[in-house]
Amino acid sequence: MRGGYDRPRFLWLVTALTYAFLFAPIAVVVLFSFNGEKSLQVLDGLSFRWYEAFWNDDELRESLMASIQIAAITTVVSTVIGTALALGVIRSRGKTGSWLGILLLIPLVTPEIVAGVSAFVLFAQLGVHLSLTTIILAHITFSISYVVVVVRGRLATMGTDREEAALDLGATPWQAVRLVTLPALWPAILAAAMIVFALSFDDFVLSFFTTGETPQPLPVRIYSALRFGISPTINAVGTVMMLVSALFIGLAVALPRLLGRQESGMAVLTGRSE
Amino acid sequence: MNDAFWRRFLVPGALWLAFFFAVPFGIAIAISFGQAAEFGGVIYGWHPENYGDALDPLFAPILLRSVGYAAATALLCLAIGYPVAYTIARFGGRWKNALIAFVLLPFLINYLVRTYAWVALLSDEGLLANLVGQPLGVLNTPVAVIGGLVYGYLGFMILPIYAALERMDPALIEAGKDLYGTPRQTFWHVTWPQTLPGVLAGALLVFLPAVGDFVSAQLLGGPDTYMIGNLIQQQFYGADNWPFGAALTVVLMAFLMLFVIFFLRGGRAAERREALA
Repeated sequence: MRGGYDRPRFLWLVTALTYAFLFAPIAVVVLFSFNGEKSLQVLDGLSFRWYEAFWNDDELRESLMASIQIAAITTVVSTVIGTALALGVIRSRGKTGSWLGILLLIPLVTPEIVAGVSAFVLFAQLGVHLSLTTIILAHITFSISYVVVVVRGRLATMGTDREEAALDLGATPWQAVRLVTLPALWPAILAAAMIVFALSFDDFVLSFFTTGETPQPLPVRIYSALRFGISPTINAVGTVMMLVSALFIGLAVALPRLLGRQESGMAVLTGRSE
Repeated sequence: MNDAFWRRFLVPGALWLAFFFAVPFGIAIAISFGQAAEFGGVIYGWHPENYGDALDPLFAPILLRSVGYAAATALLCLAIGYPVAYTIARFGGRWKNALIAFVLLPFLINYLVRTYAWVALLSDEGLLANLVGQPLGVLNTPVAVIGGLVYGYLGFMILPIYAALERMDPALIEAGKDLYGTPRQTFWHVTWPQTLPGVLAGALLVFLPAVGDFVSAQLLGGPDTYMIGNLIQQQFYGADNWPFGAALTVVLMAFLMLFVIFFLRGGRAAERREALA
């Protein structure tokens, strides 16, 4: 790549090819989900028949509802616990908080399969029947760390001046948290909640290890369906899943802005990966 | 507000993570020393030979393969991801934000769905085979599995490198030129060392999940390309050998934690050397 460091033509070529590599398979899934025929090779007409087939398939519809339910409960519980944890980690001065702050990163670097096996053996040893509840418990465990990372990032930049002002004006500590800290944190909390929803809705590995027989969440259902080959209906399911993830990640980026805070949602999102 | 007040906020989360994260991993360790019960399950005991089995000639290649595939994935992600991040950061102009958001978009889509999209493209009855007019024969090969891993985790490489490039002062490149550096020299003596932390972060973020991955090998590969993730999954579903599965899980986790520690140390040493040079 002689001269490539300064002359962008070669670099743009690599970049364009990468975009093609990234989007080609997705485009195929979306296009063929609207195919009028059953073929996975030839596009013939436009129709919604595979979406109808998805909706009319009792198992798939049940799975969609299960996935939404799992993601919703996971989001609420982990956002509450995670926000509290972030407050404790940042605001308490002792060693406990800072140690917890470091330990909290471990779930983030744990391979999903390790987390899945751990959750599986816990429920097996406790004799808990695998169900939606066990999936939700496993999802919450791994979502807490994401919430902490996002909320903590915002909290660290806030300072304690306003809380102290509230105390000086006669507020109790609880009132200061409820009326001053939480409203200021709201955009970060919402962004964290949206990210958790998308992650939980998408999760396959953890769900695979903690799911019961029925109802199974959507990714697990797709996985079992794939063993019998690909069908156009799966393309429709995949497209719907893409839309749901895109919607919630979009909300995570947009909500902080809509709420009128200076900080961009993109910063909230990218900040967590560094 | 005093410390005692804030410490109360730590309690629910700390208890939750202790019970649902630390305790289960402890149980996994305990099971890894047990004996397989007949239909799954475990009889606790002291059987360290489960760990010996992991290094058995039958299974050791699978562990090595997992590390090899993950390393190849990280290198390929670097080879593709660095030019892309560099192009967007340096030549993206006012489209920069849109371009980086666009390149990250696919990674927000379900990994399973994205992997299966490749099956639809590459299978012998798939779209590409139809276009080419003959079966591709790519599925079930290491190429397909590593390709699937690259496709799955490339975003984790692009983002930290892009962030490092964005943090860099463009005046440094100008300075390199002013000192009669060729573009190549300027790149290797100025830009590369400045972005090394981003490269290291990216390599870690790609390598860690890739080692434990079992979706890519399951969907795009076959028995010859199985990775440790597939082996673990089999022990809990099908083979019903929980202790062996748990031992493999502990080996995987221990390897990755040691890797993280040495990798971060090595990275810091490399940065110091760069700073001195």
